[in-house]
Amino acid sequence: MEKVIQTYQLTKSFKEEEVIKPTDFSLRKGEICALIGKNGAGKSTFFKLLAGQTTPTKGDILLFGQSGKKIDQARKRIGFMIETPQFFPDFTAIQNLEYFRIQRGVVEKKRISEVLEIVGLNNEKKKQFSDYSLGMKQRLGIALGLLSNPDCLVLDEPTNGLDAEGIMEIRKLLLKLNQEKQITIFISSHILTELQLLAQRFVFIKNGAIVEDLSKDALDKKSQKQIYLKVDQQAKTAQLLELTYPDIQYKVLPNQTITIQNHIDKSGEINRLLNKNDVLVNEFHLESLRLEEYFLDFVEGNKND
Amino acid sequence: MINYLKSELYRLLHKKNLHLTSIICFLLILAAGLVLSYLPKVDPSFPYATSPFFYSNVISSGVLILIVGLLFNIALTGKDITVIKQSVAFGISRKVIFWSKLILTLGYFIIVCLIGIGLMVVLGENLFTSDTQVVISFLLACLNMIPIILSGFLIIHTLKMIKVGEAYIVITLFFIYTFSGDILRPLFRSVSGLNNLYQYAPSTLLTENLLNFMNESVKFEFSYWLIGVVISLITLLIGSQKFAKISID
Repeated sequence: MEKVIQTYQLTKSFKEEEVIKPTDFSLRKGEICALIGKNGAGKSTFFKLLAGQTTPTKGDILLFGQSGKKIDQARKRIGFMIETPQFFPDFTAIQNLEYFRIQRGVVEKKRISEVLEIVGLNNEKKKQFSDYSLGMKQRLGIALGLLSNPDCLVLDEPTNGLDAEGIMEIRKLLLKLNQEKQITIFISSHILTELQLLAQRFVFIKNGAIVEDLSKDALDKKSQKQIYLKVDQQAKTAQLLELTYPDIQYKVLPNQTITIQNHIDKSGEINRLLNKNDVLVNEFHLESLRLEEYFLDFVEGNKND
Repeated sequence: MINYLKSELYRLLHKKNLHLTSIICFLLILAAGLVLSYLPKVDPSFPYATSPFFYSNVISSGVLILIVGLLFNIALTGKDITVIKQSVAFGISRKVIFWSKLILTLGYFIIVCLIGIGLMVVLGENLFTSDTQVVISFLLACLNMIPIILSGFLIIHTLKMIKVGEAYIVITLFFIYTFSGDILRPLFRSVSGLNNLYQYAPSTLLTENLLNFMNESVKFEFSYWLIGVVISLITLLIGSQKFAKISID
């Protein structure tokens, strides 16, 4: 399948500090890929390198297979929205989009109304940009991204400042664009549940390096399942588990609760072990880790350190 | 480049503040002419109600003209510069952005300057005693000033594009176009071969041009154009190279 974005040993340093460590990455056509990392992990810098806003210290970027001088032409096929979109504050939405329509050589003027309709700004098109709320600014940024009918969208925190309804609308819009127009989407957001509902691939970035790259299925398998136990003797349960499984990873929680993160496949044996040793098991089930919890494991440094 | 130029022109034409600044400049010229022509009626001994004095206000205001140039340049490179991140992300080269903004702001500045000079001549010839020789001297002095002023405008543009603050730009302008001669003179007095360098400093050339105009000895000076072109080329070379490398946030 055609690769939309490829990087080879892409590196960015500011003075002595390597903010993006040599990174190999590729995004295939039609994917919705989420870039996940805490503040300062290097997400925006990685996006800025792709957008040409900052130049790499080392390494190569290929967009639609083009690099070097031809990359500018390839960038025209991508709609970027990085950090808060910037527009002329004294212009209305229509004037701002008209400026970019002329600049991008979009022939049809009605495209402006179309994209404003898509992002739900049709009723606010005559208001000056300086009077826009953060959410409206984000929507206008997405409208700009769509203006020239891109094949790929690179969106950095597109739902920032949107209310719950707005977030849902944008998610639906992005899914629709991906499914109906096969637009490839590369997105970051701090609302990880939204990403989980949207993306098919999850790339975790930490300290400027990609530390994990998972498909949705793989993430489900990896993040899924911990054994949740509610027992009458918490200390005895912990002791039994440690004696039987020396490498066991578990957490002791309030309300006589214990969660076990490994040996998931031995859930039946664990249940039998507790019963055999007169531990009353009031509750026993398998539960999934949400993306937030999986992500927090990276942030806290429990994984891949 | 054409599309980018067109879009910047769209922005320029919709900048109300810019047109307002131009109108204020023209009104100030008009007010200066009217006040000068009116003062002899109040004080018959007032000696400055002459076209040479009226014109000399322009010839002596090199830095002031550059400050006005800074205001025009800010129109496309001030807060608006934040918008270029979207243009860069769309694959518009930094070279195109740098030169397009320069062409438009410079073009607008030149048009305003030409209208201003035209207005000066019309007022000078109608409010004061008409003298063709004075007009010719004024136009020759303006011709000498053009490369120096344009070099200053290019410095403004370059510094704005590489995100240097306005206060630093004003200091730089004063340094080059007001004090450079006074600094170079003592600095290289004892250095053989460089002791006359101050004579080619922009501030010295602007002062000399004013004195020549007042002494009615002004003539076209090739050295002004040479210095102006050298400063302009160096500025644009460094500026375009630096702009190609800066991060655009």
